Amino acid sequence: MVTERMLSQSGVSARSRDVLGLRCLPGECVLQRAVMVRKKLSAREGRGWVSGTLFCTHFRVAFVPQDSPKPDDNADPVLLGDHDVALASIEKVVVVGPNRTKLVTPNSSLKFTPEELVLYCRDLRVVCFLFDRLTPDAQVLEITYTIAKTYQPPKPGSVLSFQNAALGSVEMKQFLSNRRRNTDMNWFESASDWEQELERSGASGWRISSVNDRFEMSTSLPRSIVVPQKVLDTELKKSFAHFNEGRIPRWCWRHPRGSDLLRMASFQNNIYHEKDDIRNLEMILFGCQSSLCVVVELDEELPSPADIQLAHSRLRALCLGDISTSVSVPDDKWLSTLESTHWLDYTRSCLRKASEVACLLRGGHLTVALQEADDRDMGCVVCSLVQTGFQSLVQKEWVMSGHRFYSRINYHRDNDKEEAPVFLLFLDCVWQLLSQYPSRFQLTGDFLLALHDSIHLPLFSSFLANCQRERCKRSQNPGQSYTPVNGWRDMLHPDSSSDPSDPPLPSVWDWSLQYSKHRRDRFTQPVPPIPPHQPLLNGNLNTNPDSHRLTDTIPGSVFLLSRGIFSCPANLLPWRSGSSGVYKKSHRRAASSENVPGLERLLKAWAQAEFPQGLTSSSGPQGPLDPYEPLLPLLMGPCMGLWRECYLRGALHAQAFSHPVSANHPHPVERLAREVQQLKDKLEQMAEPRRTDSNLNQNTNNGTFLFPASRPQSAGNPRAAPTPTSTNHQTSRGPPPTSAASSRHGHRDNGGSNKHTFLFGHSSVAEARPDQRYYPAPQNAKLPKSNGIQSALPTTDYKQIISSILLCVSCQTIFN
Amino acid sequence: MEKSGSIDSLGSKRSSSRQPSVDSLSSTSTSRSDRSAQAKAASAMSCDSGATPTELSPELRVKPKIAAKVPRDSDKEEPQLLPNETVHDIAQDVTYFCPFIGAMRGTVTVTNYRLFFRCMDREPSFVLDLPLGVVSRVEKIGSASSRGDVSYGLVCKDMRNLRFAHKQLEDTLRKSIFEVLVKFAFPVSNGLQIFAYEYGQVFPENGWKVYDPVSEYKRQGIPNESWRVTKVNDHYEVCDTYPSTLAVPVNIPDEELKRVAAFRAKGRIPVLSWIHPESQATVTRCSQPMVGVNGKRSKEDEKYLQAIMDANAQSHKLFIFDARPSVNAAANKMKGGGYESEDAYQNAELVFLDIHNIHVMRESLRKLKDVVYPNIEDSHWLSNLESTHWLEHIKLILAGALRIADKVESGKTSVVVHCSDGWDRTGQLTSLAMLMLDAHYRTIRGFEVLLEKEWLSFGHRFQLRVGHGDKNHTDADRSPVFIQFIDCVWQLTRQFPAAFEFNENFLVTILDHLYSCLFGTFLCNSEQQRLKEEIPKRTVSLWSYINSQLEDFTNPLYVNYTNHVLFPVVSLRHLELWEPVHQRYKELLAKRAELQKRVDDLQREVTNRSASSSERAGSPTRSITPVQTFV
Repeated sequence: MVTERMLSQSGVSARSRDVLGLRCLPGECVLQRAVMVRKKLSAREGRGWVSGTLFCTHFRVAFVPQDSPKPDDNADPVLLGDHDVALASIEKVVVVGPNRTKLVTPNSSLKFTPEELVLYCRDLRVVCFLFDRLTPDAQVLEITYTIAKTYQPPKPGSVLSFQNAALGSVEMKQFLSNRRRNTDMNWFESASDWEQELERSGASGWRISSVNDRFEMSTSLPRSIVVPQKVLDTELKKSFAHFNEGRIPRWCWRHPRGSDLLRMASFQNNIYHEKDDIRNLEMILFGCQSSLCVVVELDEELPSPADIQLAHSRLRALCLGDISTSVSVPDDKWLSTLESTHWLDYTRSCLRKASEVACLLRGGHLTVALQEADDRDMGCVVCSLVQTGFQSLVQKEWVMSGHRFYSRINYHRDNDKEEAPVFLLFLDCVWQLLSQYPSRFQLTGDFLLALHDSIHLPLFSSFLANCQRERCKRSQNPGQSYTPVNGWRDMLHPDSSSDPSDPPLPSVWDWSLQYSKHRRDRFTQPVPPIPPHQPLLNGNLNTNPDSHRLTDTIPGSVFLLSRGIFSCPANLLPWRSGSSGVYKKSHRRAASSENVPGLERLLKAWAQAEFPQGLTSSSGPQGPLDPYEPLLPLLMGPCMGLWRECYLRGALHAQAFSHPVSANHPHPVERLAREVQQLKDKLEQMAEPRRTDSNLNQNTNNGTFLFPASRPQSAGNPRAAPTPTSTNHQTSRGPPPTSAASSRHGHRDNGGSNKHTFLFGHSSVAEARPDQRYYPAPQNAKLPKSNGIQSALPTTDYKQIISSILLCVSCQTIFN
Repeated sequence: MEKSGSIDSLGSKRSSSRQPSVDSLSSTSTSRSDRSAQAKAASAMSCDSGATPTELSPELRVKPKIAAKVPRDSDKEEPQLLPNETVHDIAQDVTYFCPFIGAMRGTVTVTNYRLFFRCMDREPSFVLDLPLGVVSRVEKIGSASSRGDVSYGLVCKDMRNLRFAHKQLEDTLRKSIFEVLVKFAFPVSNGLQIFAYEYGQVFPENGWKVYDPVSEYKRQGIPNESWRVTKVNDHYEVCDTYPSTLAVPVNIPDEELKRVAAFRAKGRIPVLSWIHPESQATVTRCSQPMVGVNGKRSKEDEKYLQAIMDANAQSHKLFIFDARPSVNAAANKMKGGGYESEDAYQNAELVFLDIHNIHVMRESLRKLKDVVYPNIEDSHWLSNLESTHWLEHIKLILAGALRIADKVESGKTSVVVHCSDGWDRTGQLTSLAMLMLDAHYRTIRGFEVLLEKEWLSFGHRFQLRVGHGDKNHTDADRSPVFIQFIDCVWQLTRQFPAAFEFNENFLVTILDHLYSCLFGTFLCNSEQQRLKEEIPKRTVSLWSYINSQLEDFTNPLYVNYTNHVLFPVVSLRHLELWEPVHQRYKELLAKRAELQKRVDDLQREVTNRSASSSERAGSPTRSITPVQTFV
């Protein structure tokens, strides 16, 4: 017991390290430790077991594999290591004894020595540790108790102490306040950010209004609102009252074909209105377009937050099984049970709605306004599914436009009514798109997964508030000394929101704070999306006859798209009688454009669309690679997949059949990855003297995408030794991996004589004879393409090799 | 030995077919190999294959190019014929009801190999290219309608239903083109030859030489001190459905083998399929013992199984895996069959694997077809899928193979696998277990050997199960056993994407030509029949075609895991429906493939141009141009 006491002394120095290799955060204390523990690896990590030491600090449960490399004491702190679990994301602690399974609560005492410790996490992970017979019993019991006591079952106030545990130390605060934000993404906080976005999307006719600078017009809207240029602030101010929560129509995005996307809440019916109001409203709605405005009704077909919450909790239960009894749905009922959660239905309906909107926008020169009762849930989903540039997008449409992250995630477990994982539904939608069009995204499944997990960690300013106003209060920026009138403050932080000891909260986008470089490397597709890539593209969609029909109608019409049907009801603006000239006109035309079917017809129209004739002309905007076409997902039942990597990673049965693997057997893909890194470095070295423009990175240079295109590679320092854990689920019964490695070298001399050796062997071949192709070019070779380029451009040779390898690596990590 | 054909003509054909001409772009084929390029799973992989769909299909690839002076129109109206393919009928103004695009009018050409529909009204013209071997039945739908149209439905073995209609013929004596088609779709029933016997293409590789039993046994280390290779079945006297070369325990003389054969159904004695290179644990296969209601025993058979167990010094147990549900196994006693009793076979443990028979599988696939074709009900898709039990059957087969592989690898115990006759479920189990255990079978040539060995030489009755050229579509012997096996392999490739040298296209191509009757590989029921019919002399092997263009079938992710055993997760939660095969609704994808090819060409052109104009402007992304999967 004396030794145990000693363990808990740590964190005196800012860069302290436990004797057994745990790299502590500044101020982090190790509460308990157990040696000779084996961690069960998930399918993603390669399955099997890895042994090492288990720690419990007052911030996380950490696991350090036996032969992991010594941490670099001078590196910036990373909150969670690859095997760590934050205490706040643990939902249940279960121990497995010789014959029994027990749920451990802070007060329970164990009458047996556990053999296995299972942590069920809120983010659907299940982490399983196995104690060895050599682990001292006392250590096993103590660490179980410690975890059970400190993991914080949900109760108000625990979030704050968790935040303090993670970020509360003086060193950490200092570190965080010195941290620079990623300037490559648009944060949409200030007017200039919006200015930049207007410029980027080429939206003219809009201006940034700061009427809401002090959140007086709408508490939940951001400070800067983009409105039509011709609407004056005084006119604007009158409009706020006509919308729920004052969320007036405001600009979000411009489609490259010139359509604008707007968002708004539903109308307030019981407000007295004047003629001017109506004129103002119309001006806002039509924006800078003269022709047409389609109001898309979101409430009708999309699930309500309560639906989503129910579906998600069912999905959770289905995927995790009943924790205490280890009973899960039998395999033969899996599919129908999955169906009955309705989760996939909801995903589909969101994607369908987004596709409809995307089809509308593609038509060009109209305004599409998304309308939702309070414009804070499904509006976010649909609006962002239409667009591109993921990270900035989430910042814009979710964080800044006031999605109630705080309430919807319900960190405090004090507001179950509001809880609904709307954002997780959105992530699922993105995953569906990603799995259908993997090459159109720069981000990877790993990125989505990381974001998914971060949601469950109450540490990030992005998710800990419901709107910009609350966020500003939290960060206490000068100039936001606005005091709330309606008691927000107390609701928000029951303890003491303005307590100066609150640690500054980082943004979720500060990835290097959260994850090791090794994991962050997997966030981006190694192969950038193909150019041209303004929006996500879908090669073969063509003109949309229906929208042509729409544009035929008189300028100034307002249509309502609801349940996939266009209509122009007289009572669209609820306080209007149908007396206005504009309305009468469009009403008369309604007969012809009524029941214009929605997506089904649009898609059908696509199927029947004639393909442009001339091959040469097709590089124009009508060509098959038209960058302005939306990425329409397939919505048929079989095409909607389950995000297994996320939902099923903790499932018990997935781990049922595992075999120990030798820990020092690196996954071939890891070897490939290392080789890729070396090749990359080599390429950089070669490219530097030769080219001045960064042609190399031309594909990623678009600012709208996730990360800056050209991150300097740490040359000469190939990626850290791979974790010994990442062997696939395969038992080895043969020679050590060195034989494979040496055979690789053997291949180098004969230069890619078969298809797969080019992966390994070509580097040196290319080095020696840069003009050689890796295509074996036998007499019946059928790869006539790009031979010319290859010999003309030795460096592209490298790039092809590298991109192929990278593609392999990425595919592996996605599928594994 | 092979079909004669002059090298010269080959050379000219091949070279001409390879030109990436604009003409070939304008044709679209809907044969399955084309569509496979868009298969969902392959989307990542197929990027690298660089194979454009038109190049994948043998029909298009080997077609002789029509000379430039021939008017283009005739080029467009008719298919480009294979060697020895002849046009038998052409009908204008036929309507094809595409379930996705709608009705369209065009010309139908029927040859002795295919049905070719082309609609010229559309741009690009729509093409349906269907090997007749895939047709399961042709039915005339209804009587002539008031407008004088007659309608025909083509039910296909690959789950498609095609509908055509044409005007009532004025000349009543003249046969409708679809009646002509029947003759060539079911050549066996009509006293004609299957097209594979006429197909004259010569490939640089000879697929008939892929499998040599002796060298395959040698690769496994047989003969050794416990196992020998016997020629006792050289003239198929012991067992007419077994191959001539068998591997048996050393200490059982040939005479005794014959007595064992008398006790096993159809004389299919336990013989070696695979031996573990280190532990010497073996996978052996056979048919059910003829126990019968009286519980008959055979000393020779008991001794034989003991010998199999003794050949493996690592274990003193033998596992007998009976693929059937125990109820079915017991019911077989009424027909003289049954299963090994543990009293008679000391040290043996019997395990039933609960895999259902061919009739249940056929019914399951039929249900699956109902669920996916022609309409899919989105909101009940998953429960409908569940009700077909198709994935559940796949799971049971994989689970059985997994248990076998685990016993051999982890338990170091020899196993005996059988079902009733030992040519359906047994083949599925042994070949899947071997695929998990031995990395050699995960290479392209290794997989070909596996099929030749475990399926073809051990007498899986392809002719009966598929019904090549036979019009009797209700034949109870038809069953998707082999399709199920390929589906299981696909599930494995999904879980271990880097462990297989072949890609999805390879599997899809195999299934396509299972029906197409273009190659001789899947004809006949047994090695004996194939020899009698002189299949290797008279037909071309599928492996000739595949091995001549390996790059189309190679998985770019492949890493040679020589000494790794694959243990897949067999939970339904991790199995997926193999869409391109089971859902033939995606005719649009063929069009998509064509567009993709245009895109590729354009990009190539652009790159070429920019490469010539400026040395550095070239973009290397050509090689990674994604093949778009879904709309």
